Amino acid sequence: MKLRIRIDHRIDASPSLQVTVLLFSLLAGLFTVGMVFAASRVNPFLALWKIFSGSFGSLYGIKETITKAIPLILIGSGLALAFRARFWNIGAESQLLMGAICATWIGLNWGPRLPGPIIIPAMFLAGFLGGALWAMFPALLKVKFGINEVISTLMLNYVAAELLTLLIVGPWKGVTQQGFPYTDDFPASATLPLLYGSRIHYTTLIIAVFACVLLFMLIYSTKFGYELRVIGENIEAARYAGIDFMRNTVIMMLISGGMAGIAGVGEVAGIHHHLTYPQAISSGYGFTAIIVAWLAKLNPIAAIASGLFFAGILVGGDAIQISLGLPAATVQVFNGILLFFLIMGDFFLNNRVILSLERKE
Amino acid sequence: MKFTKIIIAVILVMLLAAAVVFAGGEKETEPVEAKKIKAGFIYVGPIGDYGWSHAHDVGRKYVEGKFPWLETLLVESVPEADSARIIDRFIVEEKCDVVFTTSFGYMDDTVKAGEKYPDKLFMHCSGFKQSENVGTYFAELYQMYYLNGLMAGALTRSNKIGYVGAFPIPEVVRHINAFALGIKDANPDAKVHVRWIFSWYDPSKAKEAAEALVADGCDALAFTEDSPAVIEVGQEHTEKGKPVFTFGHYSPMQQFGVDSVVSGQLVDWGVMYEKILKDIYDGTWSNEDLWWLAAEDAALLGGSFEDKINPKFTDELKAVTVEVPDLGKINVYNLIMKRLDQMNQGTDVFDPFVGPISDNKGKVRIPSGVKASKGQLLSIDYYVDNIVGDVPK
Repeated sequence: MKLRIRIDHRIDASPSLQVTVLLFSLLAGLFTVGMVFAASRVNPFLALWKIFSGSFGSLYGIKETITKAIPLILIGSGLALAFRARFWNIGAESQLLMGAICATWIGLNWGPRLPGPIIIPAMFLAGFLGGALWAMFPALLKVKFGINEVISTLMLNYVAAELLTLLIVGPWKGVTQQGFPYTDDFPASATLPLLYGSRIHYTTLIIAVFACVLLFMLIYSTKFGYELRVIGENIEAARYAGIDFMRNTVIMMLISGGMAGIAGVGEVAGIHHHLTYPQAISSGYGFTAIIVAWLAKLNPIAAIASGLFFAGILVGGDAIQISLGLPAATVQVFNGILLFFLIMGDFFLNNRVILSLERKE
Repeated sequence: MKFTKIIIAVILVMLLAAAVVFAGGEKETEPVEAKKIKAGFIYVGPIGDYGWSHAHDVGRKYVEGKFPWLETLLVESVPEADSARIIDRFIVEEKCDVVFTTSFGYMDDTVKAGEKYPDKLFMHCSGFKQSENVGTYFAELYQMYYLNGLMAGALTRSNKIGYVGAFPIPEVVRHINAFALGIKDANPDAKVHVRWIFSWYDPSKAKEAAEALVADGCDALAFTEDSPAVIEVGQEHTEKGKPVFTFGHYSPMQQFGVDSVVSGQLVDWGVMYEKILKDIYDGTWSNEDLWWLAAEDAALLGGSFEDKINPKFTDELKAVTVEVPDLGKINVYNLIMKRLDQMNQGTDVFDPFVGPISDNKGKVRIPSGVKASKGQLLSIDYYVDNIVGDVPK
């Protein structure tokens, strides 16, 4: 007897199948995460309960979860757009940093001279442009020279991080910061207001939700979105149909990078109020947002929910550290495993796996 | 009279209420004996980093074992941006009485938390902002760097000594300067070369920088980075027959380079946490800045808690003789022990930062016979005259 595995491409995946596969991937992921907890001698149900009660179970947790979700939603919805076109933008981290750098420049140089209603929009605009321009390079490299965007966007992360470090230890180092590598604090007009009693910089949150809706409409009800989806499904067919691959890719990446840039503005103007080490500015949002986009099935509106979900895991991660003594890396393991299962779920969605037993003659 | 009746009734009710409140108040003050303190610790790195956060966690475990009335909680790898969130969680969700924030970058969030929770205490490590309920503490190691410098100066054959620095902030610059002053006192011809990696914890960058310094001719390396990466480089070269002397940083790192590690700086946060928590328990806590050195037993010499100097290098250090103004001709080993003894008595007996000290541009920074003030040490931004190059600006 011989086990045969046949893999067929599945063309039509019904919405109900999509939901089933998504739920099943999530459950399988959580089950595997539970095994990791069990291996550290922690009751998996208790750990999962602690994570989600730590992030959604109290007013404190909800406020912090929303704060963390803001950059994840912004970047996640931008990445959803890029991934739709099968453009693997792994560089959202650097696009966020470039947004933060540009906003800082505006905030420090123009903040003292201009009132908030002018300076804040200017900072968001500068942040969007910074992220967009940084994302444009890999897009151009891909469409002009066929350079793999995974490599170029990933490598640009390091370039942006080093550039930021250069600025904060060099020309932009603040005179009021006792020799520490931070820029001076932004003037009050260049900082974002917070929701009372929380750290939620609601301006960015409103922009994030608004942008998700716009991106949703862009993808599903414009010619541009249609063309992007065709490019993503079949690049040859897209070329044959006369779709401008170059123009579409570049515009798409300008938007995707710009979204990450806006997230960077929110972080510096809403949370830090000065530019500081790359690791402090971002704490890996650009990478976590990749999972956010996948869990949202590349749907920008769903990215709001999945952004909140992963923000919850990040915030609840503190709770399991404090109460169960698990190491900080647990949260990264958690996220990694979930992404793994979500991508695996996609494989089963796009392919039909047929197992059959064959009797040897 | 109706009116008087009402007045009497009101007075009676008030008396009754006062009695209840008084009795209740008495009840509340009773269970003093069962007083417990819950302390939260926030670390910037992973506790397994073999550096800063690890050393703090050793101190935390020490006090938790010491005081039965103490309960501690910790969160590791907290980005500076997230400290406000963790402080809130400690106070609001976990009901901590005191929170220790152990990274400079947590300063503003700690001070803000002090305003937000006026009946809780906050201790910020390495900062300079105090308030009513926010204190600061720091274990300073520059004296040990000086002693390490004496060893490096005596042992080097190439007269080129390397330093892998984390960030060019005053604390690290001060340590490099103390190291260089020690080198100068043992070997006036040796020069110090610095490479910056712009990270507190990045083993691969530290390794690269160490290799670059060795390739450049350095045969002794000290560093500020929270992993034993530099030591592993030294050990590797030493095993291959090219001795590179290294000095452990913060945690006992001799185990990672038994043939290469000469000594190092060790910190004992435990004694500081013991004092702070005891003061809080006794009600004698104040927000004065605690800046502890060798005399307070916070700064220790060694690459391990057992040996001040790796016994492998004792003979070599005894073979080198130098001349110092106050002690005359003396071998370096004895000089180190003498200086350590003096440092343990206090900075008035001996301190490395006593003039004349010039920077490497020729400008006199500390005049002859004058001891640098704490303020000068905290804002130091120049290299002393046997260091090559400029502090990145």
